[in-house]
Amino acid sequence: MARRYDSRTTIFSPEGRLYQVEYAMEAISHAGTCLGILSSDGILLAAEKRNINKLLDSALYSEKIYRLNNDIVCSVAGITSDANVLTNELRLIAQRYELNHGEPIPVEQLVSHLCDIKQAYTQYGGKRPFGVSILYMGWDKHYGFQLYQSDPSGNYGGWKATCIGNNFNAAVSMLKTELTDNGSIDINKAKELAVKVLSKTLDTNKLTSERMEMATLRRVNNKTVIDIMKSADVDVLIKKHEATEAAAEAAKKEKATTSSS
Amino acid sequence: MSILAYNGGCVVAMRGKDCVAIATDHRFGVQAQTIDTDFEKVHQVAPKMFLGLVGLQTDILTVRERLAFRKKLYEIRENREMTPKVFSSMLSNFLYERRFGPYFIEPVIAGLDPKTSEPFICNMDLIGCPNVPDDFVVAGTCGEQLYGMCETLWKPDLEPDQLFEVISQSMINAFDRDAISGWGASVYIIEKDKITVKKLKTRMD
Amino acid sequence: METVIGIRGPDFVMLAADCVQASSIVVMKSDHNKIHKIADKIAMATIGDAGDSNQFTEFISKNLALYKMRNGYELSPKAAAHFTRRNLADYLRSRTPYQVNMFLGGFDDKEGPELHFIDYLANAKSLPFGAQGYGGYFSASILDRYYHDKLTEAESYEILKKCVAEIQKRLIVNLKNFNVVVIDKNGIKNLEPITSVKLDAAIAAAQGAQGVRAH
Repeated sequence: MARRYDSRTTIFSPEGRLYQVEYAMEAISHAGTCLGILSSDGILLAAEKRNINKLLDSALYSEKIYRLNNDIVCSVAGITSDANVLTNELRLIAQRYELNHGEPIPVEQLVSHLCDIKQAYTQYGGKRPFGVSILYMGWDKHYGFQLYQSDPSGNYGGWKATCIGNNFNAAVSMLKTELTDNGSIDINKAKELAVKVLSKTLDTNKLTSERMEMATLRRVNNKTVIDIMKSADVDVLIKKHEATEAAAEAAKKEKATTSSS
Repeated sequence: MSILAYNGGCVVAMRGKDCVAIATDHRFGVQAQTIDTDFEKVHQVAPKMFLGLVGLQTDILTVRERLAFRKKLYEIRENREMTPKVFSSMLSNFLYERRFGPYFIEPVIAGLDPKTSEPFICNMDLIGCPNVPDDFVVAGTCGEQLYGMCETLWKPDLEPDQLFEVISQSMINAFDRDAISGWGASVYIIEKDKITVKKLKTRMD
Repeated sequence: METVIGIRGPDFVMLAADCVQASSIVVMKSDHNKIHKIADKIAMATIGDAGDSNQFTEFISKNLALYKMRNGYELSPKAAAHFTRRNLADYLRSRTPYQVNMFLGGFDDKEGPELHFIDYLANAKSLPFGAQGYGGYFSASILDRYYHDKLTEAESYEILKKCVAEIQKRLIVNLKNFNVVVIDKNGIKNLEPITSVKLDAAIAAAQGAQGVRAH
């Protein structure tokens, strides 16, 4: 059935669906996981790295987290080549705004501008939608710290915490329970939470710094500070997480043995 | 009257021993009328690099903004700082793009290479023909006077404090003979581990 | 022929502009307003080619309105001035440049008052005070003499009166009336226009008082 309607993105199916757009979303839900958490004193993005071949040249600074200007960072899930085109576009949009207005672009305007482009590719003939979802973290003078997510259809929204890519549903529900229990958290708690969520949702037995990258965005002395974390620092977080997990496990066992005896 | 002399102003840069200096006047005028006296024609474009632009003020602003656009994109894509050499090539190409409808400015670049700390000074004409000497560069409505002053005062391997004296005296005595430059000056001395900014009080007429 | 004056105080900006609309050597109108409200707390006093002035202010103010509608917040005065200059600079190198000179005055709730000088070449500068047009030649020295950084609104209005009196005394062109606008934290407010009739009356009254004392 779908074959008759998915040759062009511009055509609705009789059920009122745009198959190419849905396929693009499907492609993303198999891509590496990215998550973002908005905390009281900063924002965090964490991403799963899929290319962990030892032969890879490590000259590339970060694989999936990109700085867009002094105040905004994004991380992408989906087709990397598509993502490169979009990040380039994002950087241009940000600079163009600064040229015209003499101040940095507000975060939502950047997201919304890119989504106009994404949307166009779901409508104009002969084009394929971008197979990319993006998480944006940024700061502006109007609304402070902000976290956004956009998808191939050109939809976007602001979030307190969200996740895209493989297993995103599980991660989002985990974030939901963790955050509703604890209310607002600070950036250090957010880092721990990110490691916890990723270690549960990635399909590996053991999380390593080779398999994830993390970046934070804070304000220090009225200046935005973006920190794309070194793998050693990520390792420290992972070690800490493993220790608490092990302690919890031991406590559970202890309980089990005492209750059985 | 040349459009390059519509607003008035001057900039000079000099090379010293392991350091460079760049100075600007403060006047902003429209022909003979002085509008304001705190317009700096020198801007810091990187931790150890300064760009001075003289000429038509509208083009000073436009060129400054458009260069910032290109430089920021370069640095964000390449994830490294721009060297003065690369910056001057970029500026040269940028100006030549407008070969037959140029921006009416004359640029001066002064800086140290971010890695090697090699001093670098450079100036260009309005369509981007670069000149990279190893003594000094001048630009602006009192360029001739500046040449005279620099030629007499400058000598090789000046220490930072000597360089400050030389560039300040050159600047002051040059623009005091020009009606549309002056009204105070700023001097920037760029060394490997520090940047000194000094404001010069001069005759205000 | 026309004149605009701007003064930035510690918590307000005051703009003044003459009210003459002339065509060749004929005065068509002497109550023409040249100070335009372009946002809640931003006003623009423009002189230059009459058609261009109107078109350009309209273009900028509608763009600011569009920005506000799209984003739910206004452009700051600084950003608005930057945007205005950018457009003027782009038009300068097009086939249809705008012949307008202006002062853009605005009040930013965080940064305070701002006054921007912009001329038709898109030369632009933030200033404490300034004047453009033929009247500028006569006003500059008066502003230099009487401006100080703790200026009140009333003092500022008095300085404008001195400028206008001088322009009307020395400039060959007859600029009878000046509209005055003040922008502060409460928004834009029109002040009493400065007119030659009122200035003459004030001078006559002062001379009359002196005359009485002489007796």
